[in-house]
Amino acid sequence: MMSAVGECLLAFIFGSIIGLLVQRSRFCNTAALRDAILFKTYRNTKALLVAMMILTIGFTAFISVGEGNTMRFDVGLNQVLGLFIFGIGMVLAGACTVSTWVKAGEGNIGALWALIFTFVGMFLFSLIWSFNFWPPAPAAMTGEPMLKGLQLGYANAVTLQEKTGIPAIFFGLIQFGVLFIIYRLILRKEQTV
Amino acid sequence: MEFFKKTLDPVIALAAIAFLDIFLFVQIGAWTVGGGETMMAGLIASFFMGTEALERIPFWQLVFTPDAGYWKIYISLGMLFGAVVGAVASGEFFIRYPKRLSEWVMITIGGILMGIGIRLAFVCNVSTFFGLTPELNLGGYLSISGIIAGAWVGSIIYKKILGL
Repeated sequence: MMSAVGECLLAFIFGSIIGLLVQRSRFCNTAALRDAILFKTYRNTKALLVAMMILTIGFTAFISVGEGNTMRFDVGLNQVLGLFIFGIGMVLAGACTVSTWVKAGEGNIGALWALIFTFVGMFLFSLIWSFNFWPPAPAAMTGEPMLKGLQLGYANAVTLQEKTGIPAIFFGLIQFGVLFIIYRLILRKEQTV
Repeated sequence: MEFFKKTLDPVIALAAIAFLDIFLFVQIGAWTVGGGETMMAGLIASFFMGTEALERIPFWQLVFTPDAGYWKIYISLGMLFGAVVGAVASGEFFIRYPKRLSEWVMITIGGILMGIGIRLAFVCNVSTFFGLTPELNLGGYLSISGIIAGAWVGSIIYKKILGL
């Protein structure tokens, strides 16, 4: 078990390397989606898919042997709606959560402005939430489907492994295969252009 | 140094990031940005409004209690630091800002929508692609469907505004 200071230090070192790699590679998550939709260019999309393939194998391999710290909270319609709103916002702002920090670090005032208004958006949401209390607060989450709150509960590689008795890496390999097929289709599309 | 002279292939950069993320996943948890940003929003609000005023808003009691010792904050601060180092060392640091009013408006609306979206979903794009989905979390697939639909709608708006 790591101390709180140790966690913060590790997080800062991790973030610093990420910031450096993203700055040097000009990777952008927004571009990975926007450019594929608008311009049919896939430079960032391919990089995102490669990362997801490595992560899927890595995470599920560790989960198979009982290691790793998975995110634990109930999911539901709010994920679809929230990321839908986020997706529109990131294309309009021209940056996502990573590139706002990285571009701000390059001296881009527009990215800094987007970051400030992301904070404003979060604060505005905190006011809305305090009236309707939806989606449920962590303490109200049960892990089970709750249709009244439009929640489907909690399910991931850990629960799959527990319920089926099949190691998580098996399901990870299936997801890897799907991601690899998408990656190959993109490569084929690029070759035909 | 060659690293700071040429643009790095994003596939190599993202592969390296993936291995680092696996290490972080084993140690404390997968890479995420939205949670740290929310905590920062709470700390900033607390600075301007005062702790007592903020405590009267239930969200900051029941969902996020402002805490400067929350490790996810330091991922974002690290990213800013790493980007400054990379930009300065490669001679790519310079102050630039949007020239047209329409750009300022789009960025402002976009930023607010990102903030609202992250909190409504409990996740951001980083958690979606670099955390939830590789964990085979149902929320990852729900989030991906949302973000692709949102990026598509956003692209139509973007296209119309820019006259593409």
